[in-house]
Amino acid sequence: MINSVLRYGAIILILILFQVLVLNHIQFSGYVNPYVYIMIVLLLPSLTPAWLVLVTSFLAGLIIDLFSGSPGMHASATLLAGFSRPFILRLISPSDGYESGSDLSMAAYGVRWFFIYTVLIVLIHHTALFFLEVFRFADFFRTILRILLSSFFTIGFILLIEFYRKRR
Amino acid sequence: MRNLLNFLLKYNNLIVFLILEGIALYWLTAGNSYHNSRMVKATQAVTRGMEERISNVRSYLNLREINSDLASENNALLNRLERFTRQEDLKVITEKDTLLRQQYQYTSARVINNSVNKQKNFFTINKGSLQGIKVDMAVTTGKEVAGVIVGCSDNFSIAISLLNLDFRLSARIKSNGYFGSLSWDGRNYRHAVLNEIPQHINVSIGDTIETTGYSAIFPEGMLIGTVSDLKKSGSDFYKITIELFTDFKKLQHVNIIGNMRRTEQLKLENQLQ
Repeated sequence: MINSVLRYGAIILILILFQVLVLNHIQFSGYVNPYVYIMIVLLLPSLTPAWLVLVTSFLAGLIIDLFSGSPGMHASATLLAGFSRPFILRLISPSDGYESGSDLSMAAYGVRWFFIYTVLIVLIHHTALFFLEVFRFADFFRTILRILLSSFFTIGFILLIEFYRKRR
Repeated sequence: MRNLLNFLLKYNNLIVFLILEGIALYWLTAGNSYHNSRMVKATQAVTRGMEERISNVRSYLNLREINSDLASENNALLNRLERFTRQEDLKVITEKDTLLRQQYQYTSARVINNSVNKQKNFFTINKGSLQGIKVDMAVTTGKEVAGVIVGCSDNFSIAISLLNLDFRLSARIKSNGYFGSLSWDGRNYRHAVLNEIPQHINVSIGDTIETTGYSAIFPEGMLIGTVSDLKKSGSDFYKITIELFTDFKKLQHVNIIGNMRRTEQLKLENQLQ
């Protein structure tokens, strides 16, 4: 128990530092901003109580907000992703269900399952995030384009990291 | 009572979600563009120190370019000084107190945090109210417009970048003096849009756009960019796209310009309204 708390603490810390120190400084063409820290929500173990997922995602978003100077934007988008996580897990649950206490990783449930899981959560998070950022529905399709492009890169990053973790 | 407890138990996650989301959205909407100034104070202890360290490394890597920039700026200033002192010799100056003639005060600072890829971009500089920076001072790079200070803490200030959907600036076409309102449309960090220029005016691609000084923030004649595209739409106004002189992706050394007569001008203008 203590062990897994420490492990997830380390994962969360690394992801936040990676986001804040590296990815936030990649300013590629104004359309692409990968937000890989959403992995924090993805990777929490399947047994985590829903309220803990909510609190964790809120705090993670809050820290990212503090570093990128955007009040509440990441907090609310990440919270929404954390809230929809149980529904998505139920929606795409594998035929023999989730093993209790297992990691929700590519190694445990396979590439296909993890890919669908990532795409759904990342799309929810990015849609909320980018619409909260512009805060208007003018230029609707441009915002959609930004969401799709950034999601593409975020998903790519997350899958790369997962492939690496699986390999080890 | 029992029903209420059952209800709370059944929907406890939804309630946690709604409360936290409420906090986040309140935070998001409570501040307008000035929310950042409040956040500086709260976060500078942790995040600003770290950002300054990162930015130190970066500015070291760019020293060569900055050196040549400084040398050329130095030359330009020396030339100007030369002309200025010559001119002064010919005139009779009766005013003893030279300070009274000064309208703008200049301070230099370094950008320690910046972005161009959001819709509402801000940047942070490493000087604050202790160094004489105040809200509503202009930020430029050399003679080119970069932003306006919106919040200061003791040693840091936050400026709203020209690349922000909320940024408005009164700008005019240098060749004929017609003025309009400059804003950013959120598309490309190299381009801004000039509105409210009527269609009967001659505008051509390549015309220089400069500030008017009406807002009492920017001095008159600071450079903004050149016309890169213009369209006649159905309305009576042009839609003019401007290629900016300032490259916000490599914004590093900036000048802060304070208008010492701003309060006087605003006071007079308010009297008449």
